[in-house]
Amino acid sequence: MADETHKESQPQQPQAPAAEPRPPEPRPPEPRPQDQPRAAEGAPATPAAPRPADSRPSEGGRPRGEGRGGEGRGPREGGGGAGGGGGREGGKRGRRGFYRKKKVCRFCVDRVDYIDYKKPEQLMTFIQERGKIMPRRITGTCSRHQRWLAEAIKRARNIALMPFGGAR
Amino acid sequence: MDERLYDMIFICRPATPEEEIDKLLATLEHTIEERAGKVEKKEKWGARKMAYRVHRHREGYYVLLVLRATQGDMIHELERRLKVSDIVIKYMTVRLDEDMKRQKRLAQRREKKASRRPRPGGSRSHGHGGGGGGEQQPAPSQTQAQAQQ
Repeated sequence: MADETHKESQPQQPQAPAAEPRPPEPRPPEPRPQDQPRAAEGAPATPAAPRPADSRPSEGGRPRGEGRGGEGRGPREGGGGAGGGGGREGGKRGRRGFYRKKKVCRFCVDRVDYIDYKKPEQLMTFIQERGKIMPRRITGTCSRHQRWLAEAIKRARNIALMPFGGAR
Repeated sequence: MDERLYDMIFICRPATPEEEIDKLLATLEHTIEERAGKVEKKEKWGARKMAYRVHRHREGYYVLLVLRATQGDMIHELERRLKVSDIVIKYMTVRLDEDMKRQKRLAQRREKKASRRPRPGGSRSHGHGGGGGGEQQPAPSQTQAQAQQ
């Protein structure tokens, strides 16, 4: 394979320099001194990606719910980066790594006493693409404000300020 | 009986001329007056896109009334009129006073807390130097501390 690519790539001069450094990386299993550091680098990087996937079902397990959960996702990925050295141990929560930023209720921060159903622009950030109300575990809203929010969204739906399901 | 606060929103067909909406509003206001109610606020939001289709309309002319009522049957009568009216395609009434009461209570509680907070901060000021979260009182306590010094 390597020889073939070399032969093909040589006539095409612009691609040749790019093709040359690549072949030694994936193929040779013998030159380990070169390979090992790369594998070590690769290892934390790859688990970082599946880790959120592992944590999702334990979080409540709806992949769809993550669709808009920018907030929910951001900190988790950041956590993967922070606990990067830990490899798969990050899956266990008590240990180091897997740091998750604590979510704060946005309404509590703003000291909201009443959530107005007549302002759909504000409520829109709390529904999913298909019109579902975002769960608390993703937005971090406190239970009291989630209750008010749900009521406001339902009122707004009733008077066609917000969709019942998706954009029609 | 105590007064109650309501939000009454209705949506008219987008093609209705303004005069008809005004006419409808006039009749509504008349019934409100008759039944000893009060119009707190009257807002015409104008034609606006609805989140879903209603009677095959994608747009609707929104009108909001905030009412004070002492008799419940005023709302009944208003809703009946809206239901009968041809130009109205959707309406909703929401009772607001309980929410408002709650809101007021929470605001009061917060104020109380805010006013209470500086006091412990002031009493602690001997040890703490008034470095707490007090907003209004720390200033005098600091001046006292300075005077003592």
